[in-house]
Amino acid sequence: MKRELVTIFIVVFILVGLPVGVFLYQRQQSNPDSAERAIHIQAAVPESGGFQPAAIQVNAGETVTLRFSSVDVTHGIAIGPSLGIDLGHVDPGHVKEVTVTFDKAGTYTFYCNTWCSPDHWRMRGIVEVTDPNNPDAIPTAYRDPIIERLVAEGVNIDANVNMGMADHPQGDTLTFEQPPSIEKGQILAATLSIPVELEDAEWRLSHTPMEGLELLTDQNPSTPMNDLIHVIAYLWVLDTPSEDIQWAENYYNKNCAACHGQTGDGNGPAADQTAESPVAFGDAAYMFGMRSDVLYAKIRRGGMGTDMPNFGTLLTPEETLKLVGYLWQLAWQSRAG
Amino acid sequence: MIKSQRINVFQYVPFLRGVLRSRLFQPVLTISTLFFFTLAIVTGLFGTPVGNRNFGIVFVWIVWWGLLIILLVPFLGRLWCAACPIPVPGEWLQRRGIINRRKGRLSTLRWKFPKRLRNMWLQNFGFLGVAIFSAIILTRPEVSAWLLLGFSLIGIILSILYENRVFCRYVCPVGGFIGLYSLMSPVEVRVQDPQVCATHTPKDCIIGNEYAYGCPWMVFPGTLERNTYCGMCMECIKACPKNNVVINLRPVGSDLMVAKERRLDEAYKAFIMLACALLYSVVLLGPWGWLKQWANMDTLPHWLAYAGVFLLANLLLLPGLFTLTALLSQRLGRIQLPLRQLVTDYAYTLVPLGLTAWIAFSFSLVFTNGSYALGVLSDPFGWGWNLFGTTESTWMPFGSALIPFLQTGILTTGMLFAVNTAYKIAGQHTPNPRQALRGMLPVTGFIMSITFAFLWLYLG
Repeated sequence: MKRELVTIFIVVFILVGLPVGVFLYQRQQSNPDSAERAIHIQAAVPESGGFQPAAIQVNAGETVTLRFSSVDVTHGIAIGPSLGIDLGHVDPGHVKEVTVTFDKAGTYTFYCNTWCSPDHWRMRGIVEVTDPNNPDAIPTAYRDPIIERLVAEGVNIDANVNMGMADHPQGDTLTFEQPPSIEKGQILAATLSIPVELEDAEWRLSHTPMEGLELLTDQNPSTPMNDLIHVIAYLWVLDTPSEDIQWAENYYNKNCAACHGQTGDGNGPAADQTAESPVAFGDAAYMFGMRSDVLYAKIRRGGMGTDMPNFGTLLTPEETLKLVGYLWQLAWQSRAG
Repeated sequence: MIKSQRINVFQYVPFLRGVLRSRLFQPVLTISTLFFFTLAIVTGLFGTPVGNRNFGIVFVWIVWWGLLIILLVPFLGRLWCAACPIPVPGEWLQRRGIINRRKGRLSTLRWKFPKRLRNMWLQNFGFLGVAIFSAIILTRPEVSAWLLLGFSLIGIILSILYENRVFCRYVCPVGGFIGLYSLMSPVEVRVQDPQVCATHTPKDCIIGNEYAYGCPWMVFPGTLERNTYCGMCMECIKACPKNNVVINLRPVGSDLMVAKERRLDEAYKAFIMLACALLYSVVLLGPWGWLKQWANMDTLPHWLAYAGVFLLANLLLLPGLFTLTALLSQRLGRIQLPLRQLVTDYAYTLVPLGLTAWIAFSFSLVFTNGSYALGVLSDPFGWGWNLFGTTESTWMPFGSALIPFLQTGILTTGMLFAVNTAYKIAGQHTPNPRQALRGMLPVTGFIMSITFAFLWLYLG
């Protein structure tokens, strides 16, 4: 009888104790320190539901461990803005985690940065960070002076704008047989008279290279216009730190190249799946009619009806400007086509 | 003659009788497997949906399947049925205990299982029902877990309604083919002297005694001539007061020649298993990705088309072709036997062929995917655990260069065994060896065609 009881105990232990033990162990694994919480987030392509859970709540100042696993294909996991968290690839069935303290109340976004499906760009989830003293208030919007200025100027950010080239009297006489060269521009700039506006980063932000070229031509009428193009190329990447370019190139390659192409030719592997053809940043002629602030606004807000997602929830304004800076690098390297 | 070809294992390993007579023998097996079964269910329901990172998929459909079809069934027949955890909750409820022999009859509602269903047909259709969803079951842990739970639940319900292992004997889709292929096994549970049983009127092995329950598989060991319905639970060894029940070693495939118990439901089991092995090889191992997607239910119409063709091939196409083969054999060999009976008899030639085909299929499955087992041992749920430090072990196919040789070897062995069986079966129906030889020719052609189809699939 004793033997029977022991056996029954073993069976009950297997049927009840094993599952309970598993969950207790998992709880303990997830919570090595009672003050720290672990949240498991399952990643699947958006067509199958995207992130589960897609929204998590955290208190400001709380340290949490976010554990990501993929249930279908390889995803890339990053969290922004301003956190600089990039977990890299998460393969199916594998787990990657990051322990993070969200200092300030606000909304952060975790997202996939590896092209995983046609709806890849929709693969996002949010971390709502609340102030424990004021849990109902989550800052969701903040002022963006650059976008506000564009709106005040009457620029339609959602339109397919290319400002300056078409309207400019010399716009269609420009040729880009030789790609604009930053190096040539730097040498030439030392021999030319540069208008003060062109040396002002704020001015360049809100004007097109074509408008800059007009000012430069006025002040240097004897220099061939195709030489001045190089100078404009140089001026448009002036004061861009190399580490910013490096960061932006990495970010562009992970998040933008799938559509816009790694060389900015507008012909990435997913280009044929978007509602509108992706812009070719490597097309110098096109970029000569583009403004940095408009690029900035399009990156942050996304392109209405074009399948261009918004990156405003993923990047800080400063990070966005770094990315814009890299687009000019692509333009002048002219690797399009 | 047949008796002389048997080796009584107890004579050479006397302590084995003591082990098998112990009431602990089966509970030790079933409780061990119950642990893994429970883990498979829990991981299936709550673990990662990624099949190759989930214990429930890797250990059930790669490790267990490989052990079952490559080792257990060919060498030990139905021994798995003695260890299977699925029916034991129902059996323990019936017995109101796990180890000890309780006095009195089993606790059930004592319904009578319908005579019409006392055969393999339910198992045949059950297997086909599972088979058409196999691409889904084999890859989705949750579906797999619900299926296993469902089997266990059916086992419990049937144990409440009926006495003994009705689930195992008549319903379990896996038990059906294990039973058929255990005809090949070199191990058997048999009585030493049938005369002892014939004259021993109490029949403890049927009704049980204070040491053992009556045969849960509803088999009388005294007249047992085939492994098909012996679950190797060893209750009869415990029950027999004459020590007349033993474990024998015997020539492989001995049961195939037991003519009197051949039945159409078993023949169909042979057709279904062979067709499924062929179709699985095409769908799961073949280069046709679209076919795998159809089987995986990428769209309902695709899956319906796949399921329709699958069922057609199993129930009509292969049996139909085999019937034509048997008809030809009947004419060529001038065999005086009704066609239906001849088809049934010849179907047993497909037992060695089918078993070796499944082994060949499983070589690919197990050798190629077996390395996943290391990862899930450490992280059975895919939750990022690392219990034994093997979580990050990478997938590494084993013996890729060896697999085609093993497959060719085992398939050729199966083919030769099947051809030899065809000759012997033809010889059972005609006294003239030349007629038997003529009669076996069409069946040989059929067997060789199927073998070449497998070889073409595996070797390209």
